[in-house]
Amino acid sequence: MEFGFVLPTASRGSKEVDLVIIGGGPAGLSAGIYATRSGLNAIIVDKGNAGGLAEEAPYVENYLGFKGIKGEDLVKEFKEHALDYLEISERNEVKDIVIEDDRYVVKAERGEYRAKGIIFATGTTHKKLNVPGEDELLGKGVSYCVTCDGYFFRGKKVAVIGGGNSGAIAAIYLRDIGVEPVVLEYMPKFMCEKAYEKIIKKREIPYYTNVQVTEIRGNQKVEKVVYKDRSSGEVKELDVDGVFIYVGLIPISDLAKKIGVATDNKGYIKVDLSMRTNVPRVYAAGDVTGYAGQIIIAAGQGAMAALSAYEDIMLQ
Amino acid sequence: MGYIREEDKKYLRSEFEKNLQEEVKLLVFTGDRCQYCGVAVAIAKEVAELHSLIKFEEHKIDGKLAQEYGLDHAPTVVITDGEKYGGRIRYVGLPSGYEFSSLIEDIIDVSRRTAEVSPEVKEKLMTIDKPVKIQIFVTPTCPYCPRAVRTAHRFAILNENITGEMIEAVEFPEWANKWNVMSVPHIVINEDVQFIGAYPDEQYIEYVLQAYKKLR
Repeated sequence: MEFGFVLPTASRGSKEVDLVIIGGGPAGLSAGIYATRSGLNAIIVDKGNAGGLAEEAPYVENYLGFKGIKGEDLVKEFKEHALDYLEISERNEVKDIVIEDDRYVVKAERGEYRAKGIIFATGTTHKKLNVPGEDELLGKGVSYCVTCDGYFFRGKKVAVIGGGNSGAIAAIYLRDIGVEPVVLEYMPKFMCEKAYEKIIKKREIPYYTNVQVTEIRGNQKVEKVVYKDRSSGEVKELDVDGVFIYVGLIPISDLAKKIGVATDNKGYIKVDLSMRTNVPRVYAAGDVTGYAGQIIIAAGQGAMAALSAYEDIMLQ
Repeated sequence: MGYIREEDKKYLRSEFEKNLQEEVKLLVFTGDRCQYCGVAVAIAKEVAELHSLIKFEEHKIDGKLAQEYGLDHAPTVVITDGEKYGGRIRYVGLPSGYEFSSLIEDIIDVSRRTAEVSPEVKEKLMTIDKPVKIQIFVTPTCPYCPRAVRTAHRFAILNENITGEMIEAVEFPEWANKWNVMSVPHIVINEDVQFIGAYPDEQYIEYVLQAYKKLR
């Protein structure tokens, strides 16, 4: 067993700042470093641990400078780097934002922050599959997080629904910890990066294409997945003990919408090339903009957003 | 060489220096044939060495204090003032990975003798006047779990009828199986009310009240 130690950063109390960065994933952490270096007084507020969904990535093999690193470890590097510059308040959920005169008042569980600007680096959350059995069997074999729950299925067979990058990585991770995964992909071909496709083939992880999952079945716990083979139209069943769902992401943008930030029809925050939204001194970066889904892009967008905030707040 | 890296120690020292107010006891209960007891002791000692207000003690899991606190699995780590918190804020199994951050936050709260909960939730929390035990099954690689653990521990700090017990599910598979734990955090209250997920305080307290109301 390896002993990792994740450090807490629990700032307390209200304060006046130049910039509040909501979300401590790669976008928020990078924004924090750039904002502070440019001279802005900033704070990062995160409802969970800093790191965001990147924490759940069992492996990251495409971040510049790291040939292969666990998401958890990469995020730890990010966080320690950012902590040299600014406060990160973890497990401190932002509940509301109101506008008072020319200030944004960000109301979080553990304090209020009056700010001149906000960067939404709020990211995304897992999308549900929306089939019968999914809600009923949640926690009884249905899961959305392999690093959290993979252990409970060692020696057992599970379906990974969704064969994009997240699903592919999940399947590889499961195989590594002694689980027997089968990937079920809706489209007629491999939907992950070629690099992952190669690993999946090499490790002989079954990857079924043209699969439309219609139901997850089981009494007290998951017993089988029912699906339609889209090429033949045939309805088939697959006996499994667990189901990990990786069918896409949905943006976390409700609070941004509340203060008038425009989003697209899926809820992703609309930004220009400098990461400005339609609302003055409000920016967005990372997965919540819909462009990213990649750690390196999120980090780049965070930097850009912070530089725009610097221009708007310090140079005016 | 220790378990905690030098740069992490440096960071923890500064956090403790900023936040610690009164003495905190870090108790590790150990037993025979216990795979992770040695590591738990070593880690607790390393943490205690970071600040003079943190006092490390090792106790036996079959000893008097363990009996008084109602402990029977080793290792169990208890964070306490030695008085009103008793053995109510605890970790069964190693608080490593993400749970290490819970441990550090608990040390700070116990040292401050208080925890942050909104006035609305606190009002509900303080109506609980009978023993309620919240058990949180976790895995060390679950980024959502510390939130569920910390909520139970914050409640336990504020209300002396509440016990918050983290259980490391990978280390105690039979215990986890008893409650059909397949997703974490999996919360069991008074061995009765169960829920899965890291909910905000407002929802969490409702489950706790649900279990409490069954006691009447």
